[in-house]
Amino acid sequence: MSRFFATGSDSESEESSSADEITPKAPGTTFKQSLLLSDDEEDTKRVVRSAKDKRFEELTNLIKTIRNAMKIRDMAKCLEEFEQLCRAFLKSKNIVDKEGVPPFYIRLLADLEDYLNQLWEDKEGKKKMNKNNAKALSTLRQKIRKYNRDYETEIAAYKENPQESADEEEEKEPEDSGASSESEAEDGDEGVSAKAFLKKKPEAAPEASKFLKSAKGSGDESTSSDEDDDEDWGSDTVDSGSESSDEGEGKSASLAVVFLKKTHDADKSSEKKLGKKKKPKKKERLEEEAEEEGGEEVEGGWEKVKGGVPLVKEKPKMFAKGTEINTAVVVKKLNEILQARGKKGTDRAAQIELLHALAAIAAENNLGQGILVKIKFNIIASLYDYNPNLAAFMKADMWKKCLDCIDELLDILFENNNIFIGENIAEDSENLGVSDQPFRVRGCVLTLVERMDEEFTKIMQNTDPHSQEYVDNLKDEGRVCGIIDRLLTYLENKGSTEEICRVYLRRIMHTYYKFDYKAHRRSLGLQGESKSEQDQEESEGEDSAVIMDRLCKFIYAKDRTDRIRTCAILCHIYHHALHSRWYQARDLMLMSHLQDNIQHADPPVQILYNRTMVQLGICAFRQGMIKDAHNALLDIQSSGRAKELLGQGLLMRNMQERNAEQEKIEKRRQVPFHMHINLELLECVYLVSAMLLEIPYMAAHEFDARRRMISKQFHHQLRVGERQPLLGPPESMREHVVAASKAMKMGDWRTCHSFIINEKMNSKVWDLFPETQRVREMLVRKIQEESLRTYLFTYSSVYDSISMETLSEMFELEIPTVHSIISKMIINEELMASLDQPTQTVVMHRTEPTSLQNMALQLAEKLGSLVENNERVFDLKQGVYGGYFNRDQKGSYQQKQQGYQRGGYRNQNQGNY
Amino acid sequence: MASRKESVSVSTSGMASTGGTLDSPVKQIQIEGLVVLKIIKHYQEEGQGSEVVQGVLLGLVVDDRLEITNCFPFPQHTEDDADFDEVQYQMEMMRSLRHVNIDHLHVGWYQSTYYGSFVSRALLDSQFSYQHAIEESVVLIYDPIKTAQGSLSLKAYRLTPKLMEICKEKDFTPEGLKKANIGFEHMFEEVPIVIKNSHLINVLLWELEDKSTVADKHELLNLSSSNHLEKSLQLLMDRVDDMSQDIVKYNTYSRNLSKQQQQKHQYLQRRQQENAQRQSRGEPPLPEEDINKMFKPPQPPPRMDTLLIAGQINNYCQNVKEFTSQNLGKLFMAEALQGHN
Repeated sequence: MSRFFATGSDSESEESSSADEITPKAPGTTFKQSLLLSDDEEDTKRVVRSAKDKRFEELTNLIKTIRNAMKIRDMAKCLEEFEQLCRAFLKSKNIVDKEGVPPFYIRLLADLEDYLNQLWEDKEGKKKMNKNNAKALSTLRQKIRKYNRDYETEIAAYKENPQESADEEEEKEPEDSGASSESEAEDGDEGVSAKAFLKKKPEAAPEASKFLKSAKGSGDESTSSDEDDDEDWGSDTVDSGSESSDEGEGKSASLAVVFLKKTHDADKSSEKKLGKKKKPKKKERLEEEAEEEGGEEVEGGWEKVKGGVPLVKEKPKMFAKGTEINTAVVVKKLNEILQARGKKGTDRAAQIELLHALAAIAAENNLGQGILVKIKFNIIASLYDYNPNLAAFMKADMWKKCLDCIDELLDILFENNNIFIGENIAEDSENLGVSDQPFRVRGCVLTLVERMDEEFTKIMQNTDPHSQEYVDNLKDEGRVCGIIDRLLTYLENKGSTEEICRVYLRRIMHTYYKFDYKAHRRSLGLQGESKSEQDQEESEGEDSAVIMDRLCKFIYAKDRTDRIRTCAILCHIYHHALHSRWYQARDLMLMSHLQDNIQHADPPVQILYNRTMVQLGICAFRQGMIKDAHNALLDIQSSGRAKELLGQGLLMRNMQERNAEQEKIEKRRQVPFHMHINLELLECVYLVSAMLLEIPYMAAHEFDARRRMISKQFHHQLRVGERQPLLGPPESMREHVVAASKAMKMGDWRTCHSFIINEKMNSKVWDLFPETQRVREMLVRKIQEESLRTYLFTYSSVYDSISMETLSEMFELEIPTVHSIISKMIINEELMASLDQPTQTVVMHRTEPTSLQNMALQLAEKLGSLVENNERVFDLKQGVYGGYFNRDQKGSYQQKQQGYQRGGYRNQNQGNY
Repeated sequence: MASRKESVSVSTSGMASTGGTLDSPVKQIQIEGLVVLKIIKHYQEEGQGSEVVQGVLLGLVVDDRLEITNCFPFPQHTEDDADFDEVQYQMEMMRSLRHVNIDHLHVGWYQSTYYGSFVSRALLDSQFSYQHAIEESVVLIYDPIKTAQGSLSLKAYRLTPKLMEICKEKDFTPEGLKKANIGFEHMFEEVPIVIKNSHLINVLLWELEDKSTVADKHELLNLSSSNHLEKSLQLLMDRVDDMSQDIVKYNTYSRNLSKQQQQKHQYLQRRQQENAQRQSRGEPPLPEEDINKMFKPPQPPPRMDTLLIAGQINNYCQNVKEFTSQNLGKLFMAEALQGHN
């Protein structure tokens, strides 16, 4: 107690001083007697009193808080509590009418008013108060004045003989100062510590009796409410209450008991504080209260002693001996158990146990599959409920239990064809009994499986992907797929199309990201290495491609919700792309028009879309469609947030931008590790495609004044490479690509090749492709071709003519290929040359402008823009139409300039040299 | 270089219009050969690439002729001697030179240039301060690159009186420049130069010319040209870019200005209408408000830089023109020679 009040010592002294003021005019004892008298009355009529006590306890609790607030001068709190008090008092109006205004209430009103007046007078103190408090003080003062007008007589009466407080003061004085809060202890002794109890023991009789009264008050309360079906618990409280006061005097009180009582009360007071609004409801269902109270006890940390007391008690009582166990009884019992579901104090584990037991009983007594299915549904539901927080993931073992249950449920459903289940079967139209009619059970097995699948994802998300645990968990994926498959066959027979679509999507979601090695091998025409493996292959059934095709097409045809179809299309494309069916994938992507409206989809679908685009790009790369690959990857890569966009991790730099809540949401969106797309592979593919596009382009447009970049990121990497003061041999993938780009710039394809394809890059990137060798060959070929182009762009000005044979030797390309590449360049006007067929040479036309000419061209361009700008100034001065040149003249000027660029200099040059 | 005649009268083609001949106190400049050699030597020893060397010219004024008889260089600025006092250095140099009986009248300064880029703010400012203090001051611009190609390039410039006035008032707004009626052509005036040597030196030169080889004599017939042209074009392009930027800036300014003018106009009209209505109702008119406070005119961009850039562009163009015309002549000559052979 002293500890508790050490902080508020100044206010406490004030309190006592205020009490001192009253002390001199406090001689009488009548009040005390009346108090005792009323106590006796209460004893006689119990039931009424329980309601009254509850009200009064609420009031005392509030009063206690107010007094506390007064002590620490927290006016805002005081005001708030006072308002609540008034409300609570109003609620207990009828009781008050019957019993009269409770004296403690009057006392508080009087004290509060005094206290406030005192505070009001204390100008200095008021100045020190913060704004909030000062405001609250003035409001409270006005309020209490108005309020007290109604109780003027009572207050006056109280003020005349405030013997109560006087008595207290006298008692307290011989003791330590800490006891000055006795008044508080009286109003609601709930907050008193065990020490206080011990200390108070030698107190005088009236005090003890008073104490008895309040203790009994709380004790009685719990007794009356608990009495209905929880006798021993309630009486226990009473005992502890009376013991602490009675035996305490004999100094033989066991500390434990005192503690017990105290914590109980503390609990209750806190619970009351929290649950004030619950009060009226509670009153309505008094019979439920016992259970709830018990539950709250458990929460208070007393699980070991009383945890599940009602349940334990119930268990043997599940069915009274000799009761005939039939469907109705079991259903009733089931409902009983389910009632507790979702309630605060329910022991979820025990509930699951109970349900299992019930299932066993049902099975034992051959009550039919209907009831069993019903119970199973509920068991699974309870398993999901086990974790109260949706964000948290299930424990793996719980989840496994859940798997078992679903498996069993499906077993039953498969065995018994006559069970109808559905979400929309009303509770009362269920048919669980054994009869000729088919069973009708409420519940949706699809939802349960979906939930199970989600939990699986959650478990995977929350497991460290580099641990053995992850591998172990991943092994269960097979079971999940199995269950989904079974559900699929079940629903194909019984479910609606909507349900089928949903379960198909689940199936697709578990299929699309897996590479079908068997089909791959089969398509290559390879026989399995060993006989047994081949057998296994044959027994495994159809290709995933066929399955995907079938499922997706069904969804395309039947689905009515857009989301499922979108997901199915994306998964389908992903699957195509993964298996290098580039054209199908591309066509599907283009036909779906997803690119146009994907930004309206929800984030998970967008993540799926991003994954699909990336996979599409990688597929294009494998097929040698460098440009398509680059375009597909551009969006993801250019943002620099590939990790986030693919849902494969959160970026650190965003930490300050999002709060914990957002982070949680984002975490939930993450794709489990086993579905990740390798980011390094992705970046490498992107950079290599950018290199193959950009380097020839750069060489071709070296003198262009306004050349644009194809890939910003690639340029960035190049610049980073240039900034290195000392260039060692490349280490990382990026450095390799940069080094290769430099080699390619010089037309040195061999070096470029050795940088792109080597041991390091193989292990880092290329080996991740299923058809490694083919990809590498494609890449070499591309490097040779693009190097040839770059070489011609860069060095054509040095040559008068060059033989194609030499070129083909230099780049190790066949002559027809060289021929076709050069022809293409000539046609596109990239290379000013002609092919001399008989000698197989390329004759350069030397039409590339010299650097001086280039410069002059640039200057001309700049001057053009200068003139334009100048004209604009002039326009402004003269009005729009009075331009220096009029409109069409200007146009012709520009045209002339362009013409000059195209052909002018060529003719000129040919003439001159 | 030995083939140089005693008096190279540098043509006034650079700054074609010498607008200030009427009232300029200096009509002609006579330079001692010694000064020329000293300047050339200074650059040779100190300047490299695009670095610029500077120095002080000393001499005296005779009638309307400025005679430059001596000069001394400024040391190159390096970062370690930031506290180097230029004025102090100049004063001491001049005092020392007086002790050895050299003309000590400060008559201007000289500066080397890189491909003819010298029209800059810095030059303008320092020439202004010179001319402000000593009316006869000139700035000699020495182009080492052209000189190395075989023709000595030394030009003397002065600020025109108009520009002097503008600089005095420091009014570089578009309006100010318009009022002064100054264009890039009227910023600098070029003063003709005569190089004077003593008779003894002239004799020596004649003798040397007889002795020198043909190759030495015809250095200026060098046909390679593109390098010089490229450099010039590069610089010209940079200036043009600057010019474009300036124009865009000015454009936005004038657009803002006209927009504001419109707003102002509308506001005034509305105010007038309102006042007329009030008058008809017999109420007092609205109080006058400071219209300039409500519509703060946008900050006009300083136009001096644009003017300088234009001057510089003009300079480059002249250079290029000169260079190409010479080169064309050379080419024709070479063609004819080849045909002849």
